[in-house]
Amino acid sequence: MDDKAQLQTLEGLGAALLITMTVVIITQSATVITPQHEMMLDVQLEQMAYDILTLLDVAPSYVMGANLTECVAGWDMNQAAIKHNSLPYLDRELSVLLPGFLYNVDMSYVRNGSLVTKNAILNGYPTEDAVVARRTVMLTNSTVTKAKGAWSIASDELQMVEVRLTVWQV
Amino acid sequence: MAGLRENTSGQLIILSGFVLCISLVTLAVLVNQAMITGFHSSNAVLEFPKQQIRDITSQTRESCQSMTGLALALNQSNNQGIESNYHSLFSQYKQQMAILYAGHGEEVTLSLSKMNLTSIGTNASTGGTVWVNITYNNGMTYYASEPEIIEVEP
Repeated sequence: MDDKAQLQTLEGLGAALLITMTVVIITQSATVITPQHEMMLDVQLEQMAYDILTLLDVAPSYVMGANLTECVAGWDMNQAAIKHNSLPYLDRELSVLLPGFLYNVDMSYVRNGSLVTKNAILNGYPTEDAVVARRTVMLTNSTVTKAKGAWSIASDELQMVEVRLTVWQV
Repeated sequence: MAGLRENTSGQLIILSGFVLCISLVTLAVLVNQAMITGFHSSNAVLEFPKQQIRDITSQTRESCQSMTGLALALNQSNNQGIESNYHSLFSQYKQQMAILYAGHGEEVTLSLSKMNLTSIGTNASTGGTVWVNITYNNGMTYYASEPEIIEVEP
């Protein structure tokens, strides 16, 4: 039986154990955020924002109260300010669906051939990692009259409105 | 120095040191490659405009449906044909969509290539069909659905 170099064998085992322990402790104790982790978080947040807009738009009125098109049709068309938004109903629905997040809602529409953009809900100024989701809704004279909104649409006209939801986390 | 040169014991230890060193470098390179791959795949997911394309097609389908009801209602009040009213409404729709998307650097073109609304408004109405050409371009991704066939009912 060859019993030479016993100490070197033990030394090798000790070194292997030391390296393994160090790697395990580092990976367990620290959360490493790599660029792709950050991007995946952005992708998830963006998907969530789009899903919320879709859900708000396609849900029947008896589920949500008023869907996105009805909320937009009933807009008073006033520019929002912080703590004074012009779409309180949509704000209530978004605050339930986006707990722990901050969000702004802007409306873009075409008036006399030019693009007009106004804030409808303003909760602050977005950070760099904010995501934007958009959904277009169609308004007609009848939808606006029913929702008692301030849009001026003739009976032979239609109005396309882009609802832009900006979401970020503080 | 001469003693060190003549001492040939411990060759295996040195060799295993080299092997370990090379394995560590290989592992580090592999981990780095995996990170770069993850970065590019996440970036590609973020850059591909699937939500925009989905919004344009679903909105066009929904709007074509609403426009049918509106064209029929207008036909009863302004005595113009359903197809004439439909053309006028679609023209407004395509202009507004093009301006809205141009606002964030994307080009959307919509055109009504064909329509069959003759049975709409009659007692034996079985619905109609419209053929819409949709193209989307954001400079990196080009999408075309020519035609998008949409079944409509008043």
